[in-house]
Amino acid sequence: MSREVNTDRARQLRDLDYGSLLKASKRLESATTQKLNLALLSDAAAQRFVPLLRTLFHRSTVHAEVYEGAFDAIELEACDPSFGLYRFQPNAVVILNSVQALRANFARRPRDAAAFVDETATKIVRIWDTIQSRSSAIVIQSNFVLPYERCFGNFDQKVPQSFYSVVLALNSRIADAARERGSVLINDVESIASWVGRSRWFDDRFWDSAKLFCSTENLPLIANNIVDIVMASLGRVIKCIIVDLDNTLWGGVIGDDGLDGILLNQHGDGEAFYRLQCYLRELLKRGILLAVCSRNEMENALLPFEKHPDMVLRREDFTVFVANWNDKAENIRLIQRTLNIGFDSMVFLDDNPFERNLVRDLLPAVVVPELPEDPADYVRAISELNLFETASFSAEDLKRSELYGKEAERKEAEAAYASIDDFLQSLEMRITVARFDSFHLPRIVQLIQRSNQFNLTTRRLSEVECATLKDDERWVPLYVKLEDRLGDHGLISVVTLQTNGSSLAIRDWLMSCRVLARGVEQYIMNNVFERARQLGLTHVSGEFVATAKNAIVKDFFAGFGFEKVGQDENGRSRWSLEVSEYRPFRVFIRTVEAEKVVASS
Amino acid sequence: MESLSTAQIVNRLTGIFREVLDEDSLVLRDDLTADQVESWDSLNHIDLIVAVERNFKIRFTTAEITSLKNVGELVNLVQRKLVTVV
Repeated sequence: MSREVNTDRARQLRDLDYGSLLKASKRLESATTQKLNLALLSDAAAQRFVPLLRTLFHRSTVHAEVYEGAFDAIELEACDPSFGLYRFQPNAVVILNSVQALRANFARRPRDAAAFVDETATKIVRIWDTIQSRSSAIVIQSNFVLPYERCFGNFDQKVPQSFYSVVLALNSRIADAARERGSVLINDVESIASWVGRSRWFDDRFWDSAKLFCSTENLPLIANNIVDIVMASLGRVIKCIIVDLDNTLWGGVIGDDGLDGILLNQHGDGEAFYRLQCYLRELLKRGILLAVCSRNEMENALLPFEKHPDMVLRREDFTVFVANWNDKAENIRLIQRTLNIGFDSMVFLDDNPFERNLVRDLLPAVVVPELPEDPADYVRAISELNLFETASFSAEDLKRSELYGKEAERKEAEAAYASIDDFLQSLEMRITVARFDSFHLPRIVQLIQRSNQFNLTTRRLSEVECATLKDDERWVPLYVKLEDRLGDHGLISVVTLQTNGSSLAIRDWLMSCRVLARGVEQYIMNNVFERARQLGLTHVSGEFVATAKNAIVKDFFAGFGFEKVGQDENGRSRWSLEVSEYRPFRVFIRTVEAEKVVASS
Repeated sequence: MESLSTAQIVNRLTGIFREVLDEDSLVLRDDLTADQVESWDSLNHIDLIVAVERNFKIRFTTAEITSLKNVGELVNLVQRKLVTVV
């Protein structure tokens, strides 16, 4: 069942036919794993989005309840609790503003365009802040589609009071305000509309007669965009691109055609491959890992990276480099083990349909886009799928490939030491455990969104919720940073504790799998019990909630000697251990005082 | 462009109505109105119009869309549009 869902994933990404989506919405089976409450507020008619959203969420194995706000009542829904928005307890509030409604408001105004922009932007931002003060939902705000009328012709952009300039200014105000708010995401409807083309986007007859946002065939594109954003905010993101070499990264076969025979340059036949490399390099810079999976002799595979003058990507841009004659599914499994990320966070690019189908068949979770026959269309085909949606971006993303590269080095170093203790000692690890602070909040929230494997309860706390915990005295919300001889791992774990009667309850515990098996979790557990002791508490308790992805920590509490004190049929178990019975673990990690770090910086 | 008999038009419209309204056994009569078919609401009306436009490669005006009273009028309208296209 789940396999069927995933095998179709790349193809379904393209299948956005309005009629068939509507039809499918009537026949959704409830084989979904995750539930989501999504509220939709709009000044256009929103009804049609409801079945489209439900169908598209279902494809991503999410069961979405959709709340349709009253027509043209965005502000009322946000500000007046007698409307249904807050009773619905949304996880996400989607606000969809139409340029048609904006145009009508603008036309009624006297000439002051700057004041209009300011008032409208202020109102939109106030609505976000109101929603987030009353609920923990993320807000997904659309921008405005640029109007097609050009009252000044090409002069439009030179005149701030033209409607075109007003919309441009508003979109930029919305983007600026969203940048300051981690839990407000932008639904870039304008980019979708301009991709389609404004002349095909709008159908004014249906705005006039039914207040439809755009022509019906384009409605699924918006719904799909919303699903992409929500899924990224739930942590379903692509982390790695695995590429084939021959006829994918360059034209021809290096083993047959030789260094001067392959196609790769900035003009002519080789330019398509050059452009793909440029695109991959941009993705690398944004924090996506690259890996090679090629049927080749290693020596041949490396040759262009070492000698070809037009290569954009270098050997060190790839965190894992696999070139051999094993089947590609096996090699992708190897890459997955090395990087320790889920198969569903990987994209596999290969010009060969046989290899694509093999991987789809054996590793259905991996996203395998159809590559068009003409390499000139590669970049467009990949980017059209919007695979690299994210709900956050931080400095850590930029360093990721460096870190994973260091990890590969560490694995090599590990082999050189006789015992694991010797090895851990040689790493010279230094750890910081400190209470949440506003400086680290963005990365904390990002880690919470992304950690699927080492995550005991998989609660996706929002930025607003984290900010609240930060200042709540009953809570001990902690982040953990780690560095060692080979590099800085940054913020790698989040643990939240709450005093609960005579026990200290572990509410959330998640960690980046990069730093597994080196004593970090033991260090933190020692720290948790030390805190319980200092607070005069007798027990430490915890909860484990099984998901499809966190089997790695299913024996976490048992491993620390906790006793199981309860379990329900949904895979939720409760654990407890007396403080006096806990025996601290031996670890090879030095403590860095958080306060000193702050003071010295 | 195309010359279609009334029967042919009704036949094609039947297919479109059944598909869009998701009613496999729907039979079109000239005096059939939206009120008599439960799934023929104002939203499905738009979907019907778009599907008919696409199928016959014609375009309705807003006034035509909002004032259509029954299937018979739709058949006539389609017929007229097809003639003008020629």
